[in-house]
Amino acid sequence: MVHMEKANTNNDMVVPPDRLRLKDVMVRYGSFLALDNINLVIRPGEFLSLLGPSGSGKSTILNVINGAAQPDAGSVLIDGRDVTDVPARDRGLGMVFQNYALLPHMNVFDNIAFPLRVRKWPADRIRHAVADILRRMGLEGFAHRKPRELSGGQQQRVGIARCLVYSPSIILMDEPLGALDKNMREQMQDEIKTLHHATGATFLYVTHDQEEALNLSDRICLMNRGRIEQIGSPQEMYFRPVSEFAATFLGESNILSGCLAGKDLFQSDCGLSIHVEGRPDIAVGGAARLLLRPEHIMCVTPSADMPNRFVFIVENVNFVGGFIRVTVRGRGGGRLQFKARAHNDYANLQVDSEIHLGWLPSDTVLLPA
Amino acid sequence: MTMAAMTKDRIGALCTIGPAAAFMVGIVGIPLFYILYVSFNGPHFSPSAYVMLLSSRLFFQSLWSTFETSILATVLSVLLGYPVAVHLARQPARRRALMMIMVLMPFWTSVLVKSYAFTIILGRRGIINTALSCVVGHKVALPLLFNKFSVVIGMANYLVPFVVFPVLASLLAIDPALGRAATLMGARPMRVFRQITLPLSLPGVIAGASSTFIISLGFFVVPALLGGRHDVMLANLVDFYTRETLDWPAAAAIGMCLLAVIGMCGFIATTLRKVRRV
Repeated sequence: MVHMEKANTNNDMVVPPDRLRLKDVMVRYGSFLALDNINLVIRPGEFLSLLGPSGSGKSTILNVINGAAQPDAGSVLIDGRDVTDVPARDRGLGMVFQNYALLPHMNVFDNIAFPLRVRKWPADRIRHAVADILRRMGLEGFAHRKPRELSGGQQQRVGIARCLVYSPSIILMDEPLGALDKNMREQMQDEIKTLHHATGATFLYVTHDQEEALNLSDRICLMNRGRIEQIGSPQEMYFRPVSEFAATFLGESNILSGCLAGKDLFQSDCGLSIHVEGRPDIAVGGAARLLLRPEHIMCVTPSADMPNRFVFIVENVNFVGGFIRVTVRGRGGGRLQFKARAHNDYANLQVDSEIHLGWLPSDTVLLPA
Repeated sequence: MTMAAMTKDRIGALCTIGPAAAFMVGIVGIPLFYILYVSFNGPHFSPSAYVMLLSSRLFFQSLWSTFETSILATVLSVLLGYPVAVHLARQPARRRALMMIMVLMPFWTSVLVKSYAFTIILGRRGIINTALSCVVGHKVALPLLFNKFSVVIGMANYLVPFVVFPVLASLLAIDPALGRAATLMGARPMRVFRQITLPLSLPGVIAGASSTFIISLGFFVVPALLGGRHDVMLANLVDFYTRETLDWPAAAAIGMCLLAVIGMCGFIATTLRKVRRV
């Protein structure tokens, strides 16, 4: 047994260090605390998104990592090496910019060859590497075009190719799809996802678009006012938000305020007694909030056997193609939104008519008030 | 476009650019045609003034001198102005505005006053020679004044802002993300400058250098005050023919030649810029 344990410890030591670690990072702009005690770890090969509203600190984190900003306290470690005082050019990072940042006077080949020439690769090795990456990015035949002769999507593909070609330890992406139109954005999301799987590279992706973050990430780090609000897998973030901010930032939500009347019973201020799943950190009798996703609310028959079943008055019906979004009003005031697949059952949903709605206790999330 | 809209358009154009156009025609256009008329010995009409110039050594000497001085002054202005523009481009906007005023300051002083100031600085017993004498310990009298050197210095002093501003404009037009991207890819500042900043600021350099050169070609006061006998430029020659020999057709012909040369240079510079853009 002892030997086994020893072997295990040795094995643990072979595990590569975290790709990136931010330790107690603090950034202050005058009296404004841009980053407040940030601790963040990115594992090798991980796709981590920094998500948050503008001004939440996600760009500042990126700047601290890429050396554009110096933290007032704390340190940045890349592959176990403290790089807090290492100049940007020696950090071995790659970055994809929102506006591509391609060199306008150089053609696609020279743009992609730039980091390789900096690294003094021999010319024929550069030729092969660039040709290879151009093929992988579907950019064959564009080598001699200038960036302005390409579409936005093609330019960003060049930007990504320019990063991948020298295999940096982390690829930072600063809202890379922000300048593209909706269709292109979706297509590029798929391409980035595929590239991440194919290359096994580590990505740090900054975005304010929750769908992008949910679709692409292994983990999402949600930022709010210079702090990390919550960090976890997309599923955790969506189904188990820890705060009202996290609940409302990701996905659509109904938030009810009230208090915990019993271990598994939530009493809303608008008079609904809702069966929930209790949380050890919220005391019975204490104030609390309840998250209810619109798509978890079901339209039920009056006789349905469901722990949470209530009568509401339809206030507003929006037909949005594949589904309908309905706003309803409870007897005691209080509004809810629910979302359902649009089909004929809802065709004659009349405003001011009564509707029976229900949901499962397991679909509710208790939040601290 | 309907007739009415077209008429409205024309009236608009007439109101906005009409006054300036009329003024320019009166103050530049008509006198220019008069000079052309005089240069051909009007009203007798003979090309004798041009024939005389083509056989005059003095004319070709000062034509050459004009080119040589203008090229030197342009090169010096670019060498001095470019780093200033680079520095300005790196400043935060408010400090940059202040520094731009400092660059413009020399413009607020008459070129005549500045040229006299240079005689004090560069003269045989001027500030530089006196200071050098003190340092070396015996009398130094470097020939700094009344030669090509002083003319070029005096001209560059006036011309530097003509380089700084267009270069600054093209430096500021460079996306700052380019430098950051290159740095993150491992490039040192020298490579960023050589491969990104310099090539992308070349349009500004070409614009600045061509306007500097064209302005140089017509310089009069600086070579007159700071130059020696061999530093006569075409504008000084015009002065010589109008005031000393009273040969107005010759002076007018030189003026027309200078105009033709400047026009040609302007044309070449514009073509160069177009070629670069393609």
